[in-house]
Formats: sequence, structure tokens, C-alpha cells
Amino acid sequence: MSETFEEFRRSFSYGSRSNLDFKFLKSLSDDEAAEFFRRLLDELGDAYDHGDIDRLIQLAIDWQIRGYAPQEGVDRRWAYEDGPFAAPGKPLAESRVALFTSSGHFVAGDDPNPFGIEGMTQQEAEDRIGEFIRAAPTLSRIPVGTVHEDLRVRHGGYDISSAAADSGVTFPVTVLRELEAEGVIGELHKDAFSFPGATAQMRIIKESGPEWAQMLGDEDVDLVLLVPV
Amino acid sequence: MSVGHVARAIESAGIPTSSIYIRAFRHISEEMKLARTVVTRHPMGRPLGAVGDHDRHRRVTMAALELFDSAGDPTLVELPGPFRAGDPR
Repeated sequence: MSETFEEFRRSFSYGSRSNLDFKFLKSLSDDEAAEFFRRLLDELGDAYDHGDIDRLIQLAIDWQIRGYAPQEGVDRRWAYEDGPFAAPGKPLAESRVALFTSSGHFVAGDDPNPFGIEGMTQQEAEDRIGEFIRAAPTLSRIPVGTVHEDLRVRHGGYDISSAAADSGVTFPVTVLRELEAEGVIGELHKDAFSFPGATAQMRIIKESGPEWAQMLGDEDVDLVLLVPV
Repeated sequence: MSVGHVARAIESAGIPTSSIYIRAFRHISEEMKLARTVVTRHPMGRPLGAVGDHDRHRRVTMAALELFDSAGDPTLVELPGPFRAGDPR
């Protein structure tokens, strides 16, 4: 079976070669993707000699940035003229801070069971990405004393392998607990919050966002650290 | 976009927010006019840094938190320093 180069580069985005670290290849032109592969192989060859893997990583990051760059002629639906800005009522060192991420973390034994499916795997989440982005998000409440071994992560939109190996890459609760102990922040809110960010945007705008904001206010949270993933 | 909408909702409710974006998604924060943003030149799925790079996780977190005390207006800062390969040991 023959395959065009376009089909090849698109296959990394939920296709036969699905790789969420490189799904941006779908958004490049054929010429751009060819240039990416050429430079990647050049750097790989050089790495045989100098052993500098950081150059390979930077190359991949640079092209990921290019792949996600706004494209001319595409409607920027969520571009606003201005945004709300709330001034803190007290210094960080006296404030209660909550962590809120779109990393898709939850506590073992408290799986949100999306679509009623128990024990959904990461692969199933990736396979169902089209359903996730049309559904309302489910927020998981995570006590900040939860240890890494009791955390689970599942998200159909990104490669969770790093987050699964070290929750600190997307869910910095360990750092925040240190900063609380050192007095840098006044208090870490007793619970952190996470949801899989691949979800229905209008549901967030009209329902979940305002509800979550109300919840944080009701729990006397002063400041919120957000980590989009 | 999801967290951008959440950030706007929380700010609208009077609670200050600070967000950590990777460079590939910097334009989202800019377009959504978010209140406080730290941008890291990290790959997707590792906004705080690589596996095991606790020092980087802490530096990124601190940069975002410091904006609560320092930013009097909507602010976006790009954190210097490259992403380094992880060390899971």
C-alpha cells in the first residue's frame, strides 16, 4: 500500500503512528515537515559525535512551536480585546493558594470514569479524543498530601508518560508544599484540582468555569496557580 | 484554551490567577488576555520541566507565584533557560 508524505505526517496525530509529542506534524506543510526530518536526522548524526542530546530536544521544541503557531486566515475564536484582572488582597506569604491544572490527574480509587467507563486506559482516552472535546469536563479534587504513587493521570490530548513518571512536570504540588513549609506562600489549599483539558470549550465558558470560580471563592481561596497542559 | 477560559472565569470572580504556559501555546495566553503568565520553552506535556528536574519545577512555580506580588497589570514573562533532558533516577 503506497502512502503519500502528507498521509505519513498526519499519521502521527491520532493515526496509525499516533505520537502526541509529534502530532504537530499534521499542522506543518509537506515542505516544513520534510525540513524538520532533515534537520532532526542531521542533529542525530551529529549527536553520535558530540553526545549533546539537548540540541535534539531544542530542535523538536522549536518545531513544535512552529506547528502550533497561529495560522494566517484561521479565525481566532478565543481572541479577546481585554481580560479581567483581579488585584491580590494580601501578599503571597499571607495568602491561601490553590493549584488547578488541566493535566488529567486524579487520586487512585477516585477515577472520574469518563463516559461511565471504569478503568479507562490512556490509549482508550486517546481513541475517544473526539468524544472528550464535545463533553463537559469532570473536575477531580486531590488532597495535597497525596503522594505521587497514589496519583493517576489520563488525558487523551498529550503524552502523559512524563507526568506519570513524575507528577511534578504538570502538577507541582510537591514544590508548593515545600513553599508552604518555607513560608513563601501563606497556605496551600487543602485540595488541588485537575481535569482533562481536552473538553468542550463552551461548557467551560458557560458552566464549569463560573461554577469552579464560585467553588474556589466559597473555599476562601485567595490565589490560584493554573497549569494548562 | 480550556485553562484560559477557567482563568478568565476565576479572575472575573475576583480571585487572582497566574498561569504556566509552554512557548508553543504562548499565543493562547496573549489572545485570551490572561492576567499573569509565565512561559517556559518546554515541550508539550512538561510545562514545569523534565522528569526528575525538581529545581526547574521549583523555579517555574516560583516565577508564576512571584507575579502575584509583582504584577500590577496584566503581565506575561518568558522564563529563560532551556529544557534539559530528564533524569528519572
